Amino acid sequence: MAIALPLPTMQPMTVTDSDSELIQRAATGDRGAFETLYKRYARSVFGLALRRLGDRGRAEDAVQETFASIWRSAGSYRPDRGPGAPWLYAVARNAIVDRARARSETPADIPEEASGEAGPADRAEQGWVSWRIHGALEELPEREREVIQLAYWSGLSQSEVAEFLGLPLGTVKTRTRAALAHLAELLEEDLG
Amino acid sequence: MNPKELHDIIDVDDLASEDRERLQRVHDLLLQAGPPAELPPELDKPVTAPEAEVIAFPLLPQRRVGAAVLLAAAAAAATFVGGFVWGHSKAKPAPLAVERIVTMHGATDAAAVLKVGKPDSVGNWPMVMNVSGLPEQKPRAAYYELWLTQKNGPTLPCGTFRVNGKTTSVRLSVPYSFKHASGWIVTRQAPNAPEPGPTVLTT
Repeated sequence: MAIALPLPTMQPMTVTDSDSELIQRAATGDRGAFETLYKRYARSVFGLALRRLGDRGRAEDAVQETFASIWRSAGSYRPDRGPGAPWLYAVARNAIVDRARARSETPADIPEEASGEAGPADRAEQGWVSWRIHGALEELPEREREVIQLAYWSGLSQSEVAEFLGLPLGTVKTRTRAALAHLAELLEEDLG
Repeated sequence: MNPKELHDIIDVDDLASEDRERLQRVHDLLLQAGPPAELPPELDKPVTAPEAEVIAFPLLPQRRVGAAVLLAAAAAAATFVGGFVWGHSKAKPAPLAVERIVTMHGATDAAAVLKVGKPDSVGNWPMVMNVSGLPEQKPRAAYYELWLTQKNGPTLPCGTFRVNGKTTSVRLSVPYSFKHASGWIVTRQAPNAPEPGPTVLTT
């Protein structure tokens, strides 16, 4: 007699799901958790890969390999050894380095390698900071993420952002402050 | 204008010094991080996955709990990763559109997940088997073999493979109907052995 087993159920996601929780749930076959991780980190992985591989096509491949690797190895994550974000970063970095090695090329930016210019430690920190910031941004509610992106990377002043969004300047500033506070909460564990 | 100071972005006068320091730290990190990369359209679309039919054969009672966990994980892996790769990959060979999943177990930690795809137009069933925990074959010319067992028929060979390392993934193809199948086994084969050797994995 065959044993009937249902496929894993998808649990509802909230912005409070930590990376650690999501990885552990992915390890049990929770597709929803994995998809949330993908949504949260795909952009970060792609950005990291693009910087290090210097080619969009190869960076896309690295994103696929990274998430396939995350899915396969989620069971090896141990929450008692640290938060989820550094583990995800390590998996992504390994996949990107593997992708670079596969073409017998040296990655454009491997932190451990010596360099005459910017120090490897600095570059490693830069990669990690971008990783965490961009990952945390994906956890913000859309309207908070929007004001952060406009305030920091659009080249607009806050008055111009307010005009662009059709909101009072005070509302934009309040929303931006809430977004920064939210980011501070999300980053507290990893960045101190 | 590219904001350089926190007070260009928010009102900070009414913030406690501790809160201001926290937000200043985030502000500095945002400037340091720079803008996120734009995802290519292929990577930005929602992930979808085809459902897979899960097949399980009768198991010994003590194996059922572990098998349930493994099977659930295998099903999810096949459906999601299959869908993920199906939706995104440019890699070759073509991904398997998984239709059925079978798990096998052996002594200690040895196990296998067999994913069976859709048959082609002439009745070849593509399969991918992930094996873990089997010892490397000795002597070197020895190998492992997958077999399909039937209720009232001969045991059918489904392909041979070798393992190297903890986990091995092999692609196989069989032309059989599964209508009368009763299970799958993996045997350890001596070089040139025509008959099934000792069973090392079974459903």
